[in-house]
Amino acid sequence: MIRVRGLRKEYSGGSPALDGIDLDIGRGEFVALIGPSGAGKSTLLRCLNGLVTPTAGQIEVDGVAVTGATPEALRRVRTRVGFVFQQFNLLRRLTVIENTVLGRLALTSRWRSLIGWFEPADLARAEATLGRVGLVGLATRRIDTLSGGQQQRVAIARALVQGPALILADEPMASLDPALAHTVMELLRRINQEDGITVITSLHVLELAQAYGQRIIGLHQGRVVHDGPPASLDRAATARIFGPGATGSAT
Amino acid sequence: MSHRGRWVGWVALVAVFVWSAVATEVSIGRTIEGLPFMWDFLRRMVPPDPSVFGNALRGAIQTIQIAIVGTVVAAVLALPIGFAAARNAAPPWLFYTARPLLNAFRAIDTLVYALFFVAAVGLGPFPGVLAVIVYTVTVLAKLYSEAIEAIEPGPVEAVRATGATALQVLRWGVLPQLVPQFLSFTLYRFETNIRAAAILGFVGAGGIGFYVQTYLRLLNYPAAASVLLVLIALVMAVDFASSRLRARLV
Repeated sequence: MIRVRGLRKEYSGGSPALDGIDLDIGRGEFVALIGPSGAGKSTLLRCLNGLVTPTAGQIEVDGVAVTGATPEALRRVRTRVGFVFQQFNLLRRLTVIENTVLGRLALTSRWRSLIGWFEPADLARAEATLGRVGLVGLATRRIDTLSGGQQQRVAIARALVQGPALILADEPMASLDPALAHTVMELLRRINQEDGITVITSLHVLELAQAYGQRIIGLHQGRVVHDGPPASLDRAATARIFGPGATGSAT
Repeated sequence: MSHRGRWVGWVALVAVFVWSAVATEVSIGRTIEGLPFMWDFLRRMVPPDPSVFGNALRGAIQTIQIAIVGTVVAAVLALPIGFAAARNAAPPWLFYTARPLLNAFRAIDTLVYALFFVAAVGLGPFPGVLAVIVYTVTVLAKLYSEAIEAIEPGPVEAVRATGATALQVLRWGVLPQLVPQFLSFTLYRFETNIRAAAILGFVGAGGIGFYVQTYLRLLNYPAAASVLLVLIALVMAVDFASSRLRARLV
């Protein structure tokens, strides 16, 4: 599903955000990406769908090269990859259904999408997806009238309605209160199990990673310092990821 | 700032005020001496002359028309210029050309542009429209560019992440953030342009101002009063309608 070789990303001034990452992730895996802030989690996720262009290295997603891809090829990769953001990144003045159907933009008639006249099939699909994430009856509400938990579910619906093979989630619960974190994680797990969609989610709460991740990848200063099932995440591994003295959860 | 610095600042402010007041011959005595004349002026306006309401209404309608055409054309022209003057949308050479030019042209008021265009294309409402366009473009382009600079990058990135084309990203990631604000700015400028267009007639550029000036010059105060009443009603009506519309936009 995903093949990463020798991935480096340097921003001008400062140590590299990603410092030589090698990774293979199989179809259908549920991966929790953990590490302290600044470890490179967001950068890694954004490299995977080409929102960030790496300095060096190769990335292959679903058999297609992301690195060195033409803009057109990159767009095709992105249609197969849903992205869920920490800050939801919804259009706040648009409605729930409008935001959701945006996930179909690349897969529908371009001119119709530009005048906002979406295909009935796309709207029906968006509506059905809203049902799956538990937002029945909210389709015509404006985003700025929803709670944070509801907004994140709209964002997940937008990713899901693409019909993706992979969903990348960047700290999807960091802007939500702890009770809602489980709702969002449950939702991602269900998507992973029912649809067979590969999920990679970055998390900064160790307990959530252990509870939901089938595989935990730990980043520290742009390198993979741990990779294994939740049970393998012992005291020594935690120290490698979060630094000595870390007790379990880092924020 | 230190205590001493603040104290010096206040003294300087008072000094500048006194200096300006003396230079502009501010005089309470002359104001009081003028009071009977003000009263006389107002008294002569009562009762207003209803026979000129027709003229006043024609002038008012033309003022609205000048403001409508001027604002709409300016709103369209200001769009590309607004993007050109936005730091995050335009290449540096364009931004550093557009911003100073906008600031320079905005320093000149609608009435001055009207003088220029009356000289260029002759009397009537058309030079008024041109004047409103030029000044409004400079104001709206500035407001648009500030809104563009304040855009949230997150939703734009999210739409791009779905695999959308650049045009789709603009349509669905950028425009929904801007259109309500742009409409609100434009409506606000329309309100202001009604006021600006109302005095364009003073320099021969059409609208209700022509009648205000003419009747005052002829010392026909009752007629001038009628025109002013119509003008007040017009401005209040437009302000009310426009502010209600704007409240629904944001």
